[in-house]
Amino acid sequence: MAEAATGGMPDRVLHLVRHYPHPRERVFAAWTEPAQLVKWWGPKGVHIPHCQMDVRVDGSWETTMRNEDGREFFVSGRYLEITRPARLVFTWAWTSDGERGHETTVTVEFNEKRDGTELVLTQTLFETNESRDLHNEGWSSSLDCLAEHL
Amino acid sequence: MTPDTLSITLSALADPTRRAILARLRSGKATVGELAEPFDMSLPAISKHLRVLEKAALINRETEAQWRLCTLAPEPLEEIDRWLSRYREFWEQSLGRLGEYLDQPATEENEDG
Repeated sequence: MAEAATGGMPDRVLHLVRHYPHPRERVFAAWTEPAQLVKWWGPKGVHIPHCQMDVRVDGSWETTMRNEDGREFFVSGRYLEITRPARLVFTWAWTSDGERGHETTVTVEFNEKRDGTELVLTQTLFETNESRDLHNEGWSSSLDCLAEHL
Repeated sequence: MTPDTLSITLSALADPTRRAILARLRSGKATVGELAEPFDMSLPAISKHLRVLEKAALINRETEAQWRLCTLAPEPLEEIDRWLSRYREFWEQSLGRLGEYLDQPATEENEDG
């Protein structure tokens, strides 16, 4: 059903997979502890003069990035899901000229592997309330079928 | 394209029905009736979606014989792809730096993991 809704139209999703030879507790901590996050967050040459994270569901986060030219970039969001050390979901939007831009959702999955952690990052550009509803419909009808079957 | 135009494009696309309409138009021109067919929606409802897409310059409408046909206009989508590639760059570099950070010997700040 969700397939029909998107109809193969690329849903403007960013999908990246990385492997780190470290336990996922450690990788997860690098995402959820400000003192660690500022060490790697942002492109090369950027540093983070400001980082605030209220790591709990519905808690907000914000970081200011400053590039080599001294230009600052502000990005913020709130946490939607925190499942230590397996999954982190948060919203994301840049603020420019005092206006918070289009909000996206970032999902980071930390999968335990024999030799470390597989990190899967997905960023979706659109609110998917409608597609969630469609999923729910899908589920409800499956459950109806199950009920009938029983 | 100004950021404001990008916002218009993004909000036009922030709807599964409208994305499905665009997906249908990728395979060629269509009339409103043809576009409405897969949906459990009235023609006026579909027309409303089409107006949003037209305003965002994501579709063009042309008249051919007596039919009003919709076609896909790819430019705003290309702009989104460029915008998206900046996100890709952000994450690729960040995740690379994360690897370097994790590979460093544990210090006071990161040895709790």
